[in-house]
Amino acid sequence: MTKKEFSFNDAVLRIEEILKNIESGEPDIDRLSSEVKQASELIRLCQKKLRTTEEEINSIFKEMS
Amino acid sequence: MTGKLSLTELQLIIRDSIYLALPDFYWVVAEISEIKVNYSGHCYLELIEKQDDDTNVKAKIKAVIWSNRYGFIKSFFENSAGESLREGFKVLVKARIEYHQLFGLSLVITDIDPAFTIGEMAAKRLQIIKKLEQEGVFGMNKELDLPLVPQRVAIISSRNAAGYSDFMNHLNDNSFGYIFYTALFNAVMQGNETEQSVISALDRIAANADLFDLVVIIRGGGSQSDLSWFDNYNIAYHVTQFPLPVITGIGHDRDMSVTDMVAGKSLKTPTAVADFIISCVSDTEEHILGISSEIKEIAQEIVEENRKRVDKSKNTLAPVTRIFISEVRNSLTEKIFVILNRGKEKSYKAGIILANLHSRMSSGARSSVTGKEKMIEGLRENLVSHTAELLKRNDHKLTAFSDTLVILNPENVLRRGYTITSMNGRILKSSDEVTGGDLINTDFINGSITSRVTGETDND
Repeated sequence: MTKKEFSFNDAVLRIEEILKNIESGEPDIDRLSSEVKQASELIRLCQKKLRTTEEEINSIFKEMS
Repeated sequence: MTGKLSLTELQLIIRDSIYLALPDFYWVVAEISEIKVNYSGHCYLELIEKQDDDTNVKAKIKAVIWSNRYGFIKSFFENSAGESLREGFKVLVKARIEYHQLFGLSLVITDIDPAFTIGEMAAKRLQIIKKLEQEGVFGMNKELDLPLVPQRVAIISSRNAAGYSDFMNHLNDNSFGYIFYTALFNAVMQGNETEQSVISALDRIAANADLFDLVVIIRGGGSQSDLSWFDNYNIAYHVTQFPLPVITGIGHDRDMSVTDMVAGKSLKTPTAVADFIISCVSDTEEHILGISSEIKEIAQEIVEENRKRVDKSKNTLAPVTRIFISEVRNSLTEKIFVILNRGKEKSYKAGIILANLHSRMSSGARSSVTGKEKMIEGLRENLVSHTAELLKRNDHKLTAFSDTLVILNPENVLRRGYTITSMNGRILKSSDEVTGGDLINTDFINGSITSRVTGETDND
């Protein structure tokens, strides 16, 4: 079994899906806490990814200039 | 012998005769086949007229422009035509014929009309252009894309030309610090050898075309240079067919040669060519830098956009969840109310239903009782009527019976005068039953008697 590559886009889509679900009152209460937990975790990962991406971009352009 | 003449005397006679016979100035059309200026500033020429095949000479004469005229004629011609007088030019000269005992017959030129030469050159150039166009090659070198980074430059120039060293200095001292790889293909850039020399240089470069990005043809600038060497069909044709872009810097202020016209790019001076090459590289670098900063901007924008997206999600997650929970709670509460209300409602409704049922039942009962009553009444009536009828019928019967009975009642019979005769307790119904002597009993209404039979009587 290979670990699935973290996909920012998928993560954001998932977060938005969860939010949409919650906003529209879709999820059942049994799943709510696990979904909120998942969304928070994904947000954390996305932020991390953004930070590293930004750092990478900056260092790439620093190398270039 | 008095008729003897010295050579000088004869020559003088010739001179005078020519002078007398041809005293005027003549405008003469000719081609310059040789031209040189000596140390004292006199210009010596050889003028020819070619046959129609353009090769064989059919007329030839020496000519001279004395230095006192030459300075003026030369600069006027150069200013007008943009060319210095040279071999191959067709000229319209104003001249008189002079005969010199040492130098013989020659034309002394006092004026040259540059307009004629200009017209001739233009006509010749036009002819070359037309030919190249008819062959469909005129724009071919222009169709080649200039390389984005032209760093490998083949140079056709004269090693000693000022233009060449200007070009090299300019190119190598560029402020960007770009490095250029150049190779000089030495060529004669002026004079009769120009055509062959330039074409040979082009051929040598073409043989190694993959080593170069482009070719420059340069020579010293200024109006002193003769443009017309490059109004040359063969050079121009080679340029159009060249596999690499050709940039010319043949140096002329006023006009373009045919070679300039067919070149991929034409500039006035070698330094301008160097500037152009440098600018190609710097434009490309600038473009790349622009793109890279655009990429950086876009990348940062994307990061920023996604950050906002994530932040938004992050910021909304908690409230949305809270709202959701409170909504769920509210909806639960509502549901409880609904359930309670529904319970109440239901029991209330149940009450009503019960009441309804009750009333319905009682009214139903009532109606059913009434029905039953009616039925019973009917039945009763039927019964009554039937009974009555029955009774009546029976009554009739009974009456009939009773009538019969009345009739049959022995008492009544007796009353009516009939008697009942019996013997030994048995009613006698026939006279045969008795014989004389028998005692018979006769019952009357009011008593009975006993009698003895005495005789017999016949029955009727």
